[in-house]
Amino acid sequence: MRRAHLLGLGFLSPALAIILMLFLIPVLLTVMFSFTNMSTATGISGGAYEINAASLRKLADAGAQESFVETLGKESFVVDDAGITAAAAAYGEQFANEVGSQMLGERFSSRRDLERAFRKLKSRPRSTRDIKKAANLFKRSVLNIRFETAGGLVGAVTDNGIEMTPDQQELLTKTIYTGWTWTSDNFALMAQIPYVWRVAGNTVLYVVLTLAASVGLGLFLAITTFYLPSSSATSFRAIWFLPRILPNVIFVLMWKWLAWDTGFLSSLFANFGVPPRNWMLDTGVNAWVFIVLINGIVGASLGMILFGSAIKSIPQSMLHASEVDGASRWQQICYIILPQLRWPIMFICAYSTLSLLTSFEYILLSTDGGPGGATEVWSLMAFHTALDNYAGNLQYGLGAAMALMLVIVGILASLVYLRIFNFNDLVAKPRIEQ
Amino acid sequence: MTTLVSKLRQSTAAAVLAVTAASFAGDAFAKDLTITVWAGGTNDSDVYRLDAIEMAADMLEREYEILGEELNITVEKKRDFADWAAFKQAVTLAAEAGDAPNIVVTSHLDIAPWSQAGLIVPVEDYVDMDAWPLNNLYDNLVEITSYNDVVYGLPQDAESRPFFFWKDTMKQLGYSDAEIEALPAKVESGEYTLANVLEDAKKAVEMELVEEGYGFYPRVSNGPDYAQFYQSFGGELLDKDTGKLLLDKQAMTDFYQFFVDAVEAKVTRKNHIGTEWDQWYAEVASGKAATWHGGTWHYARYTGKEGLDDFFGNIQFTLIPAGNENGRANTITHPLAYLLTAQDDEDDVEIAAQLIKIASEPRINTLHAIKSAHLGIAREQSNIELYANDRWAAEATERLLGQANAQPNHTGYGQFSQIMFKGLETAWTGTRTPAEAVAEVEAEMKATLGDEVIIR
Repeated sequence: MRRAHLLGLGFLSPALAIILMLFLIPVLLTVMFSFTNMSTATGISGGAYEINAASLRKLADAGAQESFVETLGKESFVVDDAGITAAAAAYGEQFANEVGSQMLGERFSSRRDLERAFRKLKSRPRSTRDIKKAANLFKRSVLNIRFETAGGLVGAVTDNGIEMTPDQQELLTKTIYTGWTWTSDNFALMAQIPYVWRVAGNTVLYVVLTLAASVGLGLFLAITTFYLPSSSATSFRAIWFLPRILPNVIFVLMWKWLAWDTGFLSSLFANFGVPPRNWMLDTGVNAWVFIVLINGIVGASLGMILFGSAIKSIPQSMLHASEVDGASRWQQICYIILPQLRWPIMFICAYSTLSLLTSFEYILLSTDGGPGGATEVWSLMAFHTALDNYAGNLQYGLGAAMALMLVIVGILASLVYLRIFNFNDLVAKPRIEQ
Repeated sequence: MTTLVSKLRQSTAAAVLAVTAASFAGDAFAKDLTITVWAGGTNDSDVYRLDAIEMAADMLEREYEILGEELNITVEKKRDFADWAAFKQAVTLAAEAGDAPNIVVTSHLDIAPWSQAGLIVPVEDYVDMDAWPLNNLYDNLVEITSYNDVVYGLPQDAESRPFFFWKDTMKQLGYSDAEIEALPAKVESGEYTLANVLEDAKKAVEMELVEEGYGFYPRVSNGPDYAQFYQSFGGELLDKDTGKLLLDKQAMTDFYQFFVDAVEAKVTRKNHIGTEWDQWYAEVASGKAATWHGGTWHYARYTGKEGLDDFFGNIQFTLIPAGNENGRANTITHPLAYLLTAQDDEDDVEIAAQLIKIASEPRINTLHAIKSAHLGIAREQSNIELYANDRWAAEATERLLGQANAQPNHTGYGQFSQIMFKGLETAWTGTRTPAEAVAEVEAEMKATLGDEVIIR
């Protein structure tokens, strides 16, 4: 490899690192997560094997024999020789002798009872923790013990004299595993939940309406400021750019002030006898109007800048010539400006579709998907499912599957746009140089 | 000269030895550790959830000192989470990253999923439940903080969620003082039901005693409160025989229908969910609403920040009335619990366990109970003057706690309640009819909870 190639690679490396860290790894992890049943309860880092009331119920549901389930579920502490020897090693002969002489052969159905019996002994360990550890030396069951491996669990079960057939063993380790497992159920699950379909509809509505609003407003601003004297045009553009540079939270808070029951709109309309209401969350339609306005105004600024510069690059002579021919402003816009803005408009449409599909921060801050889920869009649903809900039952697997759908739709949409744009034409060498 | 040098050498060596010995000795006896405590849903009036740990640390240090050991505990407190969702997200993700706080103060409902995931460890492995002050805790509360017959947490406070009436409005509706006084008993016996609530609220709006939408003014966000209305119409959250969650379609439909009726009768706003909490508190504490429901801890907010001087003169409180003949008047208690997270160093877990044990002292817990208007966790609290002399604590305990039940500790309950609330919201806002909403709830519960839910 030539040195120049290495240098080029060196220059590229920050970009490659960013692509790797911020795109490829997250996407791969999303793909991985989406094929699991990972949730708060299963944990992310792996599981354990624990026989307890809840897992025994699952075992019974999975078809295990009743007697097997019952044996596993029995708690017992037995004061036997093995326990006494272990106690002697850990807590001294004196204690072991006392246990042996007073309690040998006794059975307890809970650790608490055994602890109580120990506390009556004179030579018992003097810390609560040691008494509990001493009691565990006499445990002759597997209930409520967390085993890191299946082998550990099976060993403990057999050590406690519980016979298992290979089938029972397999069923046991499979059913009571607390961690996540691979599954493709998430995708079927999504199709079964009616709410998900409604959210899909909301997402299409959101993208189409917001796109129309931001492109329309962006175009309007670009064209109107084009015809203004340059100094006032600059100030207007600066004003319309404010929403984009304002922190999202503050921008949305201002909209909320506008719309609250006690906010500006309510106070204004109160003068005309309209009772106060939360204008943003009053109905689904209201919420959509606000969502489209909030997102549309932010989106418009980008369109305004791009369209504005594109208009400036239209040769002035064309406009002058049209004025000589007596064209009105409207005719100039329709026959000269708009046709030459075709590519920037298409670019903004493509770019905004992709970013709108995945953006939900303004919705989260303003309506949070309300009222009644009317403005919940796909990416917000994925966020709520995987990372943020009142009950704290984070469904990482299902949420990731939802996010993966967005990645797929995004990639498909990009391919379609590349085809429409005819990307090769766009990057072709100018004819003049051929 | 040589003697001087050798003496110097000797004394230097002695000094080095002495210093080394002293520092090793110091190591043997002094233990410095930092205990982090995170509390969810904790406002200014609930600071004793965290401060109690600090007080306990002071006490534990003294106990160690008497035993000849030096223990220095630094307690790091954190409660500035945006809401419950943000708190739970923070705790779970921190724990998954191996950076969990030592102690968390959270809903007892987190015990089931967090214990399965191994994020928390049973408190009963570290403390003696037979010793003071834990042997004085109410048994039913300890049961609520247990899962699979293992005590995972210590109850941090108790509460319940009553129904409130603004007395002045009720009087103008024609209720006499005696009738208002008898209301709690009438609600409990099922004589006064949610249908009566709707009737009175409607009258209050028609007579212009309150504005439209203020006849019945519910909680503004998801919470255990809504499960109470499901119970009012005969719903049960858990099937006791099988230990599975229970969706009673009829009760769920009736429960949704009640809120839809309230909207149609113009006593509740269609867009009520999502109202700002600050606005809500100010309105209910000033008599803008005829009836509403909330929590026992609201007493602190109404009489504190909202400046309501005479609570008992202005507000009557009862159980949540029964909805129909299938249901019963009820209230849900939703105790918070001190939970211990799994840590690499078991000694740290033990110290944390001792801290939450000491923080459960009746006297320390009483500070929290009275400051935040929560209910006590231990029997002996009624012998502490600060608690016994507080009218709210005494009356709320007597009127509500006897009828209170808790939501089930079940790994699927979080999803269950989330889906139930989502269904309520779609019916309430008119996006779906109650029957359609319940059908969606059924489909979603079947899909996500599978065998863990019984549909009736």
